[in-house]
Amino acid sequence: MASMARFYDGETAQVHDVSVRTTTNELVIFRLADAGILARWPIGELAVLGDVQHEVTPPIVRKGFEARLVVDDPELSRQLASLVPQLAPLAGTRAPPVQRIAAFGATFAVLVGLFWLAVDYGTEYAAPLLPYSLQVKLGESVFDELTADKDECHGKAGLKALNDLANRLAKAADYPHEIAVHVMDGGPVNAFTLPGGILVFYSDLFEQAKDGAQVAGVMAHEIGHVVHYHPMKGLVRQYGIELLVKLVSGGYSDLLSTLASGGNVLLALRNGRAFERDADATGVKLLEKLEVRADGIASFFEQMLAKEPKDSAAVAGIWSSHPPTTERINATRRPSSGTPPFTDAEWKAVRNVCK
Amino acid sequence: MAAATTEPDLTPSRPLYDGKLGELYVIYLRHLVLMLLTLGWSRFWGRTRIRRYLWNHFAILGDRFEYRGRGIELMVGFVLALLMIAGWGGVMYLVWIYVFHEKPFASFGLFDIFSLSVALIGFPLAYVGHYAGLRYRLSRTRWRGIRCGMAGSAWRYGVSATFLTFANAITFQLLTPVVSVNLARPRIANTRFGSLPFVFSGGAGDIYGRYVGYYFLNIIAWLVALGIFFTAIGGAVGGLGISFTEEEILKLLTRPSLRAILLVAALAIGLYLVFSLLILPLRCWWQAYLFRYLVSHSRAGNVLFATAISTRQMWGFLVLNYLIVVLTLGLGWPWVMHRTLRLIAAELWLYGAPDGASIRQPTDLGPRYGEGLLDMFDVSGV
Repeated sequence: MASMARFYDGETAQVHDVSVRTTTNELVIFRLADAGILARWPIGELAVLGDVQHEVTPPIVRKGFEARLVVDDPELSRQLASLVPQLAPLAGTRAPPVQRIAAFGATFAVLVGLFWLAVDYGTEYAAPLLPYSLQVKLGESVFDELTADKDECHGKAGLKALNDLANRLAKAADYPHEIAVHVMDGGPVNAFTLPGGILVFYSDLFEQAKDGAQVAGVMAHEIGHVVHYHPMKGLVRQYGIELLVKLVSGGYSDLLSTLASGGNVLLALRNGRAFERDADATGVKLLEKLEVRADGIASFFEQMLAKEPKDSAAVAGIWSSHPPTTERINATRRPSSGTPPFTDAEWKAVRNVCK
Repeated sequence: MAAATTEPDLTPSRPLYDGKLGELYVIYLRHLVLMLLTLGWSRFWGRTRIRRYLWNHFAILGDRFEYRGRGIELMVGFVLALLMIAGWGGVMYLVWIYVFHEKPFASFGLFDIFSLSVALIGFPLAYVGHYAGLRYRLSRTRWRGIRCGMAGSAWRYGVSATFLTFANAITFQLLTPVVSVNLARPRIANTRFGSLPFVFSGGAGDIYGRYVGYYFLNIIAWLVALGIFFTAIGGAVGGLGISFTEEEILKLLTRPSLRAILLVAALAIGLYLVFSLLILPLRCWWQAYLFRYLVSHSRAGNVLFATAISTRQMWGFLVLNYLIVVLTLGLGWPWVMHRTLRLIAAELWLYGAPDGASIRQPTDLGPRYGEGLLDMFDVSGV
């Protein structure tokens, strides 16, 4: 058996047109021009680099050597593959791509759909399962970041009153962990929740609040976020979608990630609005369960709206992280019946927590 | 008596690319499926398979290239870069604890320090990664059984590139020819095919005249494009007697109707057309010129290179490829790679053939791991 192939000696960049011959224990490579033997490779040391799915002509090598034999002739490849078991990869053929593209394309589309569902709905169930110590650590590190340039207030009686109410509300929702309330000096008139049951209030909120029921309303709303694990769910969803975009782009391009980050922001805002509605409803329910005045949430929103008649959430529409305030007032309006959330002494201590 | 001279062999040839888009898509879609199943960890092997396909379907003088990198090498490179960043994070943590923590002047957090420092080191490191990644890919590339390689220091390149880019930014891009030539030189002149070094003989002075023309034409084109765009919008709004109150504008932005979305899309297309007709052709004209210059001033031994790539072809390379990736949400990547290799095969001319007997296999094997920094800073293509 003799036919043409190409031989690279591995030491120089010379190309030799060659013929090859197999014996029982050797592959002999001859120069085509003068039949001089260029190499004798023991059959047992032969190997094929690569495969025919990726390479047109996968080179044959002698293990541990740099030289290569490239067989262009398909017939010779088939013969070598049938004669030498190690050269079997040379006999492979490429299947027509259409069917394989359809199969991989369909699998890809299904996986993208499943991934999306897992991220969008799976977090609902998975976020609470994350080790709580991890959630606390994450919450504490974010707390350090967000409050690095703020002074924390340490009024003992005020903090005790706030923590007591927060933990009563959380217990009413069967939340199994301790809540830690922090108060930062100054504004804005706001409060927020971090992973690991960390609640942060700004003291301006206590100054602006008309009574303890309003602070209790805001706190019940924040406890609503805590018991639904909203901070963790938000984080997981955002990173999940980012990961999906990265995977779909094949890991090649940050261009798509940049484009997708806009969509991700809108998605996060949509999630944000849904979370706020959940937290409002849960907050009211918890206050009612404890038979504490539940009119604070709506009255606090009304007060804010009176101060700033232009409802920024309604104006911002799809760009808002919160639902329109009037919608929230209507959804949370309750009578002023029930016990006050704080005693007079407690309410005084809360207002003086930074003094 | 005249000395005997031999005419150099300058037989022209072009590379051959015989890859098939369908086959490339099979490999790419398989890669995407595995990416989703492994949450991205298969990308090192996916890239390797794509490179094997592309390299081996590209031939010069009838001899195909080989890519012999391995996925595990890329993964180890990535993990090492990850550890490096983690180490840097540790250093920043110590700086935060011992220098800034609970100090009245520190109105920022640990995360701020870390982000800022990574952004600062990330810029030069991306260049270092770019050079080191090129070195890795060349070291895994063989032609006629001989390994390619790259000499020079990636760190020196990173420092030089950072300095040049910064200097160019503060001189309003007037140093672009200096930057282009001085960043191309180390990449070309340090490239080796076996024992054969590439040579680059270009100089920024050669291309400054053309660049200055491009620079001022570019300014004029921007002014004209903006003028046309605003005149068109003003004319349309005025001509139709449309006026917006503040509330209407807010509503348009916050609750866009389908009509408004279509209008914005039409405006975006109009903007694209105006800019693409005036600005991008100029940019492509300059890039095509620069590319022709860099190629024609490079050689490998007695092999000379040349290209006649046109502004239109550069448009296809820079603009259409970009649009393909964006409009297909990334699924057009194989098509872009395929188009690019076809362009190279069609437009790169080689004159002469290397003296194979004098080119030896290099003794060094190149870096053991690859592309960690490139992967880390997400600047890696195939």
